[in-house]
Amino acid sequence: MLRKMDEGEITHAFHQNLTASSAASNNNNPPHHVLKRKRNLPGNPDPEAEVIALSPKTLMATNRFLCETCGKGFQRDQNLQLHRRGHNLPWKLKQRTGKEAKKRVYVCPEKSCVHHDPSRALGDLTGIKKHFCRKHGEKKWKCEKCSKRYAVQSDWKAHSKTCGTREYKCDCGTIFSRRDSFITHRAFCDALAEETARVNAVSDMNTSLGGNIGYNVMGTSLGHNMATHFPSIFKPVSNTDETSNQTSRGLPLWMGQTSSQAQETMVNSNLREIHHQLGSATSSGTIYGGNSLVQCSNLPPSNNYQLSWVFGTKLSNTSQELTTSTTSLPLCNNNTSVPSLYSSQHQPHQTSSNMSATALLQKAAQIGATSSDPSWLGSLGLKCGNSQGQDGNNNKFSGMYGSSFVLSEADNSACDMSQMHPLKRRHILNEESGGGQTRDFLGVGVQNHLPTFINQRVDLI
Amino acid sequence: MDTLFRLVSFHQQQQQQQPDPSLNSTTSRTSSSSRSSRQNYYHYSHQEDEECFNFYMDDEDLSSSSSKHYYQYQPHVSTNTTNTNTTTFSNTTDYSYSFSPTPPIPDFNFEFSPNWSHNLLLETARAVAENNRTRLHHLLWMLNELSSPYGDTDQKLVAYFLQALFSRVTDDGDRTYRTLASASEKTCSFESTRKTVLKFQEVSPWTTFGHVASNGAILEALEGNPKLHILDISNTYCTQWPTLLEALATRTDETPHLRLTTVVSGRPNNSVHRVMKEIGARMEKFARLMGVPFKFNVVHHAGDLSDLNFSELNIKHDEALAVNCVNALHSVSAAGNNRDTLISSLQALQPRIITVVEEEADLDVGIDGYEFVKGFEECFRWFRVYFEALDESFVKTSNERLMLERAAGRAVVDLVACSPAESVERRETAARWSARLHGGGLNAVAFSEEVCDDVRALLRRYKEGWSMAQCSDAGIFLSWKDTPVVWASAWRP
Repeated sequence: MLRKMDEGEITHAFHQNLTASSAASNNNNPPHHVLKRKRNLPGNPDPEAEVIALSPKTLMATNRFLCETCGKGFQRDQNLQLHRRGHNLPWKLKQRTGKEAKKRVYVCPEKSCVHHDPSRALGDLTGIKKHFCRKHGEKKWKCEKCSKRYAVQSDWKAHSKTCGTREYKCDCGTIFSRRDSFITHRAFCDALAEETARVNAVSDMNTSLGGNIGYNVMGTSLGHNMATHFPSIFKPVSNTDETSNQTSRGLPLWMGQTSSQAQETMVNSNLREIHHQLGSATSSGTIYGGNSLVQCSNLPPSNNYQLSWVFGTKLSNTSQELTTSTTSLPLCNNNTSVPSLYSSQHQPHQTSSNMSATALLQKAAQIGATSSDPSWLGSLGLKCGNSQGQDGNNNKFSGMYGSSFVLSEADNSACDMSQMHPLKRRHILNEESGGGQTRDFLGVGVQNHLPTFINQRVDLI
Repeated sequence: MDTLFRLVSFHQQQQQQQPDPSLNSTTSRTSSSSRSSRQNYYHYSHQEDEECFNFYMDDEDLSSSSSKHYYQYQPHVSTNTTNTNTTTFSNTTDYSYSFSPTPPIPDFNFEFSPNWSHNLLLETARAVAENNRTRLHHLLWMLNELSSPYGDTDQKLVAYFLQALFSRVTDDGDRTYRTLASASEKTCSFESTRKTVLKFQEVSPWTTFGHVASNGAILEALEGNPKLHILDISNTYCTQWPTLLEALATRTDETPHLRLTTVVSGRPNNSVHRVMKEIGARMEKFARLMGVPFKFNVVHHAGDLSDLNFSELNIKHDEALAVNCVNALHSVSAAGNNRDTLISSLQALQPRIITVVEEEADLDVGIDGYEFVKGFEECFRWFRVYFEALDESFVKTSNERLMLERAAGRAVVDLVACSPAESVERRETAARWSARLHGGGLNAVAFSEEVCDDVRALLRRYKEGWSMAQCSDAGIFLSWKDTPVVWASAWRP
């Protein structure tokens, strides 16, 4: 049923009961109203809300309400009415009707946009206006200092305040005021040459890797929790010996709190250690029911790199112990039927280490995609393409869960979980990236989805 | 070490047109009595005569050997003394020192004239062209007195040009060039190269101007393609690419796959090999950091670029190709139609875009006579601009600037003393390059407003004095105090 809006040139407005369109929403209505503590992800509106579709013209119109006397334009009718008082014209302020407490959501008029669909409408008029401008509009506002362009004036203003004030600090200690010279320096800096320091560096780069949204979900907690999670990823020397005393591994590499040199030496020495231990494990027999062990020495260079990276990240600071969990290190021998490593023999994954393991794998996948052999990654259900559109990442993620990931045993999960939180608080990221955003393990600024993520994942255990 | 020397009334000397009294073999000055009243030399000791002939104050500079050449050369000069009142000074210790602290005739005291280096060098060039040996010797000697690679811009220019002129006069250009080149190679390493290039880019937009413009044009031309191939022929050691990689990673929705093939031309050189290898490793790591799928290849090509075999470069047709030439075209021999051949070969690759960055100068120094003098003058003008820009960009004590100046000095030797057919420094103006590129079947692509804005924003980040101007033929100029110095343009078949 069409409900006519009386605000002007609205070409098409429709009232749609979203519950009819979205199947599951009927059951969810009460919980949505009651459990208001979490914010909906943008574009997942309240199903009961009234959907408004405005034309682009209406959306962009700033001053639709015009005074007949002097022609001044106003954004809201209320403002116009108050202005009319000044002309001694009859004015009337509309009262806010109590009945119409119905929430309104707005769809984007651009057909190709995700938010064009009513089920992904945005809840705020200002929000939809800004969205439309940002994504589909012309960028009329330009920063003078760095010539970055913006479609929304408020974005531009916010940027101008911080542009040029931000300093970029390289791992080697040099500080730059210019982003381009920072980037060029970074590319050739000696700090880059060390695998361990590399990830640190990313946290300094204020890159919003738009495509790497897949990291968002996993990454938020990772930024804080990698210390605990890493150990769980690494293959224990044997799966029987170690007890489930998972120790903290100190700061993850990208915490940026250790000097790169220290890290490097530690990594190098630890790497050797690991190699020894894994090597001995090889001789000592099979792990995980007879599949071939990580043959570190047989790794092709690209995988070695990944190996060292993964190891390196774990072995950042303090403890030298290997992980106690039975998570296998999925890097290595390409000839192994890797999926079988993770096949039925193993317990359902533990959440926290799962996150880190998946995160690492995804990172490894990305690295692997640039190097030689994606086959084993593919066998893990990871997509090795570099397309990182949002949907792609979601698939990746679910894919990882789907391929029964080898993770620590159930009895580890508890202690991991318990350890996770304290460690999370301890390891506060210390770097200069913008605005207190949490970072994923790439150090990319992302929304803080941590609470939601944890909540969701708990279900899986 | 420096000898104090004040030359007065050089003009008078010129006007009188007398043949110079010969330079006695071991004395370090000449005079003739007819002029001696005007000329006053202050010279502190005979024992330091030898040092006057040291062009190269550097211990490590191997070409200091050529100063000995000059020194020994002296005895062979035919001595034609002038008439009568010439007082020639023998190499006895008996000198009469006379100096006047203030120049007697101000307007003849050319040393205080702001253009003294220009005038003096031009005179020397003329003497070379006219083959006037005695005058030439005199002038060379004077230049030697006044030169210093560590002094102000004029003194530096004189030092490097003197080196070049001298090697030209002694027919030693190639050997001098090779000596200088091998001297620099000895100290060449990844570290030193990186330091010099990055510092230069930090203090001056000389190279970053071309990088920003080219990257902008490349990104726009290759927009939307999932697989990119960039053929990079440049002399900036891949410093252009980190910002491009970052842009690919952040600005595009789907990060494309980038393959980069860098062609390094020139004399085969172990240190360059090593440097490029290290650079390649760093680039790959950086690309991984950025999350850009990346492959890197270096092709070392000895000899002229015009005979580069493009089919060996593994150009694939499913990749969108961009060709990036930074200071590459002028390294091709200007003789014959090598340059046009190279341009045609590039056009034949049918890339989406060809970005050309060149320095704006007409450095085709002719072989003889008038052509030589004209070319020399332009050469001097160009390097003067360059040295001045360097001087104002760097701090006074910068070692990187010294490296760059030395490299420029080698270029001067190449231009002035080496054969044009083998010269790798013969730059052309934008107008001429545009004509060539048009002739090769290419059309100019204007830089978009966004790219121009990026360039202007870049220039704002540097010190005062730099500006951007549109070029009437194609592309844009980087101007230093209103003199165009670097030209950047984009072309497509």
